[in-house]
Amino acid sequence: MKLCAACCRNRYKKLVKRGITLSAKTYRENKTAYFFILPAMLFIIGIIIFPLLYSVYISFFDFNIFTKHPPFIGLKNYMDIFKSDYFWQSMGRTTYFTVISVGLELVLGFLVALLLNQEFKGRSFARTLLILPWALPTVVNGVLWTWIYDPNYGALNALLKSLGIISQYKNWLGTAFNAMNAVIVADVWKNTSFIAMVLLAAMQNIPKDYYEAAIIDGASRLKNVFYITLPLLRPAILVAVVIRTMEAFKVFDIIYIMTKGGPANGTQVISYYTYINSFQYSKYGYGAALSYIVSLVILIFALVYIKILYKKS
Amino acid sequence: MKISKGLVVFVVILLTVSALLAACGGNPSKNQGGSDAKNESQPVTINVLSSDDFAGFRKSVIPEFEAKYPNIKVNFMSVGYDSLHQKEVTALESGGDTYDVIDVDCIWTPEYVTKGYIIPVNDRITQEMKDDIVPAALDILKYKDNYYGLPMFNDVLFFYYNEDLLKQAGINEPPKTWDELIQQTNLMKQKGLIDYGMVWGWAQAEGLICYYTALAHSFGGDLVDSSGKPAVNTPQNVKALQFMVDSIANKVVDPASITYDDRQMLNVFSQGRVPFGMNWSFAWSVFNDANQSKVVNKIKVGLAPAGTPEVKSATCAGSMGLAVTSTSKHADEAWKFIEFLAGKDIQKKQAITAGALPIWKSLYDDKELQEQHPALKEMSAQLDTAYNRPSIVWYNEFSNALQVEIQNALNKSKTPQQALDDAQKKIDEIMNNYGGKY
Repeated sequence: MKLCAACCRNRYKKLVKRGITLSAKTYRENKTAYFFILPAMLFIIGIIIFPLLYSVYISFFDFNIFTKHPPFIGLKNYMDIFKSDYFWQSMGRTTYFTVISVGLELVLGFLVALLLNQEFKGRSFARTLLILPWALPTVVNGVLWTWIYDPNYGALNALLKSLGIISQYKNWLGTAFNAMNAVIVADVWKNTSFIAMVLLAAMQNIPKDYYEAAIIDGASRLKNVFYITLPLLRPAILVAVVIRTMEAFKVFDIIYIMTKGGPANGTQVISYYTYINSFQYSKYGYGAALSYIVSLVILIFALVYIKILYKKS
Repeated sequence: MKISKGLVVFVVILLTVSALLAACGGNPSKNQGGSDAKNESQPVTINVLSSDDFAGFRKSVIPEFEAKYPNIKVNFMSVGYDSLHQKEVTALESGGDTYDVIDVDCIWTPEYVTKGYIIPVNDRITQEMKDDIVPAALDILKYKDNYYGLPMFNDVLFFYYNEDLLKQAGINEPPKTWDELIQQTNLMKQKGLIDYGMVWGWAQAEGLICYYTALAHSFGGDLVDSSGKPAVNTPQNVKALQFMVDSIANKVVDPASITYDDRQMLNVFSQGRVPFGMNWSFAWSVFNDANQSKVVNKIKVGLAPAGTPEVKSATCAGSMGLAVTSTSKHADEAWKFIEFLAGKDIQKKQAITAGALPIWKSLYDDKELQEQHPALKEMSAQLDTAYNRPSIVWYNEFSNALQVEIQNALNKSKTPQQALDDAQKKIDEIMNNYGGKY
């Protein structure tokens, strides 16, 4: 950053010496620049901006199986959503999923990062292992855990039975509550690595002197963690939590692979509900409206997090 | 901010590894056959979208078709069943002529017809077809007295039993009723041969409705009333659901059935510890494939047991067929391809090489076919008692509402009566939203 600023300053001085005013030069440069970014801009407009606006437009129309030319219905899709039990139930499940999984991932991720920040033999190997769950595609992770939970051949049942914890094989995905928690465990297993990696990277930037000074002043190791590590990690925690919350709130793939929203809708989260409405029931307008509501919620999350965490630091 | 070189290298490696692993996850490759070769006679190219089931066979006979009709080239594409509906609806909703021929599951016919995606073919259906194609199969692409295409195979849920296990328990005949099935199960359990009598695919998915349709009919029920209007909370249907709930409680049915779909249940059945199971015809080849099955040559086909004396046997039909899209510019050529695949010689070939049951009644008496397909005779006996799922335009919504409530009963969070009452309420609500149309 510093280097770059210095560079610009030098260039500016040179330009002034040569008698070229900055504004004219920038103007000319800008024009050429616009020309160069034109393809990228067209691409972004075509791929992102146009579909984004078009889906807002769609959300005001009543697309359904019977309508060949969907009529304009204003905000009715949005009102129907707020009146639907399915919507509120899905929202509840999504919130549960998000709070529990991100919470667990944060706590576990922090502990793992603390551990891997210590110096011990085989540390680099352990750090490499840490990446594996995160590097695994979610689909693979879902299939993997479906087998682990299998009621007849699953590794989890075999393990718990051989340890004497359960006397009979259990159907982990069989009831709504169990299934939701089982999916959360699968998600935590994968995404704890992500949080741990982000926090570990940040921890390595905390100068050792701080801890040494604190220890000289008589602070315990636990106090070091609470008064030095955690406060200094605040920005990294912010980044990790915001990213993970957004991802968790729109969770879809692992649900699709593991439970398809079952049993008895017990794991039907909001993204899955949106998918079913759009692509199975052909209610594109309703589906578009749903996804805008989800986006809005995610946006609010992001704003709240940023406000809380940036204010204090 | 200072970032150490080591960390940068670490991140780069990490991203590379994740990209590689993601690549290993892989996408199902699209099969693109045929070409747009332009020669003097300007052949017409028709685009066909098919489900992955039997796609291999269909592809293999395209050269034969192109030799018979040199002016037609076939561009054949296939996707997995799970993405088929979505792909077809998005392609046809946007109105482009991406596909000339599409694969239609029986439950989508009312929707596709109402949306105008497929065209009626009444004048192309011959008298021979009407006389000789199994009625339950021909009806899958019929809606309100119009025909929209031809079935490609004839599939119903068959009742499979492990003859080996039955013999070890001294049982000579497969059960004719569900009560008999429970008795036989208990006998085999006493002898320590099995843990459970049956495994089903009752997960929250379309398969559950197929099984429930079969069971409801075997107890004398139906999911619609005589006018075709959805009516799920009839006493017979409640009885069928009660049977399902009880059979889990009595440990006749593997409780894992509630999380398995109709493919996953085969993993259990093929291990040879469960004597009874219902599944589609493709399961036959799974059972007899030594690589994935421990029950090779031990499985036999019987009639699905009945739940009440008035019913002899009942099952659910699940065939798929091909139809011509309304956006196609080559409807004649497209139909020729459908007619070709439905033809008797190709159907016979399909039965021998791919194991699919033929749509023609007369082929079931074919000597050569009977030799090649040892279960053909038993399977054809089940075809007369096959019932289709309800014909409803908003079928997917109907199915989902029913799936959820059946699972609520299986999980014991509701009684069967309560669950079906709630399902009916939900279904009525959906019907009202569509102005009472179904």
